[in-house]
Amino acid sequence: MKIWFIIIIRILVITIERTLKMSDYIIEMLNITKEFPGIIANDDISLQLRKGEIHALLGENGAGKSTLMSVLFGLYQPEKGTIKKNGEVVHIKNPNDANDLGIGMVHQHFMLVDVFTVLENIILGIEPNQLGFIKKKEARDKVMVLSKKYGLLVDPNAYVKDITVGMQQRVEILKMLYRENDILIFDEPTAVLTPQEIDELMMIMRNLAKEGKSILFITHKLNEIMAVADRVTVLRKGKCVATIDVKDATKEKLSLMMVGRSVNFNIEKEISNPKEVVLSARNLVIKSSSSKKMAVNDVSFDVHRGEIVCIAGIDGNGQTELVHGVTGLDEIVSGQLILDGHDITHASVRNRSKLGMSHIAEDRHKHGLILDYSLEENLVLQRYWQPEFQNKGFIRKNAVRSYSDDLIAKYDIRSGQGSITTVRSMSGGNQQKAIVAREVDKKHEVLIAVQPTRGLDIGAIEYIHKQLIAERDKGFGVLLISLELDEVMDLPDRILVIYEGRIVGELDPKKTTFQELGLYMSGAKRDPKFEPSADQGATQQ
Amino acid sequence: MNVLGDLISSMIAFAVPLILVALGAMFSERSGTINIALEGIMIIGGLVASLIFKFLNESQLAVTAPQLCVLIGVLGAAIVGSLYSFFLAFASIRLKADQTIGGTALNMLAPALAIVVTWAIQGQGQTAIYTPNWVPLAIAPIDANFLERIFLKSMYLTTPICILVIVAATIIIYKTKFGLRLRSCGENPAAADSVGINVYKMRYTGVMISGALAGIGGVAFTLAAGSGFASTVAGYGFLALAVMIFGNWQPLKIAFAALLFAFFKSLSGMSGSIPFLPSFENVKESLYIYLMIPYIVTMIILALTSKKSRAPKAEGIPYDKGSR
Amino acid sequence: MKTSNFFSQVMSSIGKFFIKMWNGILNLRKKRGFNSILASLFSIVIGIVIGLLLMLIIKPKDAFYGLAMMLSGGVSNISNIFQVLYTAAPLLMTGLAVGFAFKTGLFNIGAAGQYTVGAFFAIFGAVIFKLPWYLDILLAALGGALWGAIPGLFKAFLNVNEVITSIMFNWIGLFAVDLIIANTPRLLDTYYGGADQSRAVNVAGVNPGAKLPSLGMESLSPYMNVGIFIAIILAIVMFIILNKTTFGYELKACGYNKESSKYAGINAKRNIVLSMAISGALAGIGGALTYLAGTSQMQVTKSISPIGFNGIPVALLGMSNPIGIIFSALFIAYIQIGGNAMQPEFATEVIDIVISVIIYLSAFSLVFKQAIDKYLLNRNRKQKDLELAEENKPKAPAVETPKEGDLQ
Repeated sequence: MKIWFIIIIRILVITIERTLKMSDYIIEMLNITKEFPGIIANDDISLQLRKGEIHALLGENGAGKSTLMSVLFGLYQPEKGTIKKNGEVVHIKNPNDANDLGIGMVHQHFMLVDVFTVLENIILGIEPNQLGFIKKKEARDKVMVLSKKYGLLVDPNAYVKDITVGMQQRVEILKMLYRENDILIFDEPTAVLTPQEIDELMMIMRNLAKEGKSILFITHKLNEIMAVADRVTVLRKGKCVATIDVKDATKEKLSLMMVGRSVNFNIEKEISNPKEVVLSARNLVIKSSSSKKMAVNDVSFDVHRGEIVCIAGIDGNGQTELVHGVTGLDEIVSGQLILDGHDITHASVRNRSKLGMSHIAEDRHKHGLILDYSLEENLVLQRYWQPEFQNKGFIRKNAVRSYSDDLIAKYDIRSGQGSITTVRSMSGGNQQKAIVAREVDKKHEVLIAVQPTRGLDIGAIEYIHKQLIAERDKGFGVLLISLELDEVMDLPDRILVIYEGRIVGELDPKKTTFQELGLYMSGAKRDPKFEPSADQGATQQ
Repeated sequence: MNVLGDLISSMIAFAVPLILVALGAMFSERSGTINIALEGIMIIGGLVASLIFKFLNESQLAVTAPQLCVLIGVLGAAIVGSLYSFFLAFASIRLKADQTIGGTALNMLAPALAIVVTWAIQGQGQTAIYTPNWVPLAIAPIDANFLERIFLKSMYLTTPICILVIVAATIIIYKTKFGLRLRSCGENPAAADSVGINVYKMRYTGVMISGALAGIGGVAFTLAAGSGFASTVAGYGFLALAVMIFGNWQPLKIAFAALLFAFFKSLSGMSGSIPFLPSFENVKESLYIYLMIPYIVTMIILALTSKKSRAPKAEGIPYDKGSR
Repeated sequence: MKTSNFFSQVMSSIGKFFIKMWNGILNLRKKRGFNSILASLFSIVIGIVIGLLLMLIIKPKDAFYGLAMMLSGGVSNISNIFQVLYTAAPLLMTGLAVGFAFKTGLFNIGAAGQYTVGAFFAIFGAVIFKLPWYLDILLAALGGALWGAIPGLFKAFLNVNEVITSIMFNWIGLFAVDLIIANTPRLLDTYYGGADQSRAVNVAGVNPGAKLPSLGMESLSPYMNVGIFIAIILAIVMFIILNKTTFGYELKACGYNKESSKYAGINAKRNIVLSMAISGALAGIGGALTYLAGTSQMQVTKSISPIGFNGIPVALLGMSNPIGIIFSALFIAYIQIGGNAMQPEFATEVIDIVISVIIYLSAFSLVFKQAIDKYLLNRNRKQKDLELAEENKPKAPAVETPKEGDLQ
């Protein structure tokens, strides 16, 4: 008898809890399925957002998080499933519908028009107007009121192309607040911020939640979830794995759910044993393509054989130009660059490659590959002119094919049809593997790897990290440029921080912290050793 | 002095079609689509207007309200031009085809179509449609003075229309919400999409506006050329693109660029009668030198200004909603 | 025993042979080129249908006669067949010019100007310097190359769009040539006689050695000469260059992706100029083939010859593939001769309309084909992705077994 009693009470309690909970879900996405040609991006996913909570959406690249939020924001229509607001079913066919329901989104790649002012960007699409003529003053007043209320500092008359990334993000947030959105979606908001700016953003999010806004934020960074979220939903390969309270979670548990197997957080590597210098840069000065200032202003560093050196910094502080200068894509205005004893300051790209430079480019689609060429044609991109592959100008097709087959086997590059596959059809991870194979396999002394793991899933990331460490252990030098803070702290043996075109600090990843790194990256801290007045010439190392 | 007056009036007459078409091109490109078919659209516009004039010539309206007839012709050209450009818009925007292919096809189709239609209506071999004499806004007397030459000679309804369009374009692009949204589609269509703007609709609108203006420009060209419609616009459609680039996609600068070019073209037409110009005594057919000059000048200017050129960022790139 | 064994062996090899053929045909479907050819054929059919519709509208009772002429005029008699070949030769050259440029990422709408300048160089060499035909062709190539290099230079070094530059130089070239011809009496004195405006340069009359040899075929037709063969050989040469040489590899790379090719050490600027120069040379040779045939004379005129522009549809229909361009040039020449036969009932411009409709549709079909390709690719890719993800786990065993404290 007693048992029945207990069971009934439990059922009652659960039902009451459930009903209470249901009423404070402001948004529910139920059984959402979204398909694209050939791929099921969201497979029967359900997610519920409570009013005033900060709810994280976790998953690795390609898990379906952005797609799910795009469905909520009206950019995509789901094949199956319903969305409810405050318990009522709603149909969101476009961003205007989402906006009418109070849903707003800050995208991973900012949706801002460079040549418009901050004000114009905020009011785009919802311009206060009279007979079509925009009422700028009215708009400006409203924006400044919001800016003060939520502590989001912006200059309404500045052009977006001239402001910092942090301010750009604030503009995106103001866009949502201007439209009186209550449900705010953030897609990977911290990807472009320094540790300090990340802290600021976390504070802004907490403030917004306190004011009654409900926040959904997409991320693959476990630290942030632990720091600011109330609950987290984990997605994997298009399916929902679980939704748990953050206070009940640990990083290990989350990563296990995210990837399906436990992940090694620390990259396994032996202590480096650097030998002689293989690449030496002295007082490099390189022009910027967009402004009159020099993008790289007196940068010097050495890369030794057997070490991985990382140049870290906020995007836009000269790393891109530095890499272009070192690899030969841009001209070095003054200074000197020496590779393995040869002065390559003004050498062509081809010559630098011949003398031992390999380069894994920043954007595999824009620079690293020719998407419409086949895999084998891409694999010989750096070597097609060698006697091995051509005879008096005619391509030796057989030699190319066998080399390509060889690399495919050695580096485990997966593709639809092997050597003749059009590279465009390969997955990002395998495209990157092809690039790595090509650059690592050719004869070289130093490898320059820029953002080598961007946009890849964990398996591919681990593979590439392993390759880079193997490079180091084989006695080559590796110059790594990365924006991924975890990678910066884990992979290299030495970190050089670049800020406004100068090296401002040298850190030991084993001894430094994220906070210290962040301070250097944002220019708040400088190592006096690197001040221009302190040095007379090349005596850094 | 009289020669100067003639020069200026000729300059205005030639600049008007350029300005109209270049402004049209600006609307299209600002929304993100390169309109290579302007040449063809001009021809179609000229054809339609000339046919309307011919038709109205037989009616009472031509006697009582000639300028109204001209207006009807101009409107007809604008409407048909807009419809013709729809084909380009469809291929470029909906189907995301290479924008130069669609445009080139339409450019080849237009003169052929024009000749076939002209033959069909006027009979075989008659390839030109003559402009009735009630079309010009005013007639200048034989011994007109300087001012009379400027304002009365070669003055058609299209000239004041052109001035109106310049003013309207400037206001619309910079001061209205339509203008802001149009520009956003040409600079960052993804951003526009994310705030709920229909990028496809905006781009269609931009192209069709350019079609309408190019159609009117075709009429203006036919009138300026003086001898009626002859199924060609001598490369003006492409010149307009150059003028647009030279004018950095801004209405007032475009007008200035067009005037500069028209100046040289007028010079070439009048090279014989201008005393202070080198007359190339020993060169036969020296008019060819003058004919070349406008194109050479354009190239020089393009060469010099290319660095500062600021094209709409997303022009020529079809917008694909799925590619995020 | 032996015979039945033998018999079954023969049967099985025949069977294998057929299976191989069948697979070959199925594979043909998968080959990238197949879809393109289908797309072109589709555009052609629709284009012709629209032409028929147009003729029905204009003169219904003659429409089918017109259609018949359009489709069969080219082979209605021997003379016409040779005229097709004769017309096709310069068309093939300008088509090659445009197609070659397309393959390397450039739109050479200046083929018309390069054709004119090339023709001029050839005529000048023939009449003034009395050079034989093969040297004149080389001169034409030189002239065309020069005129093509100019837009190339503008694009590579000044970043001015090659379409605008080419169009400007089409006109500049035309007027410059006009100017020089008008002022070189030796060229004009060769004219057959007639009013000033129609003065023409008679090459063959002055320098028979400059006329393209007819290889003994004059008896067949005054139109027949070595031109078409030169054009076909050049098409094959271009095909080999594009597909089998490192030079072609570099040019295509630049056309597909300028940035990646820079990163591969390829000199993009040099290649843009070279591409345009080669393209111009081809168009220039086209000019030579027309004016050295002894059947046309160059005139001082204010309008640009359409042969240069017709290279564009030839290239597009031939999918920018030199071998394909051979066929599309022959086709377009064929229907143009057919168009001549349609007169006087219909204007020859009807053919131009048909051609432009075909081009417009080819833009569609290109996209259509791309859409199919993308769909198939994505479907394959998803399969591969699923397999990849499964197999892409690191192979090191240490990670597989759960360690203490990793799980909760």
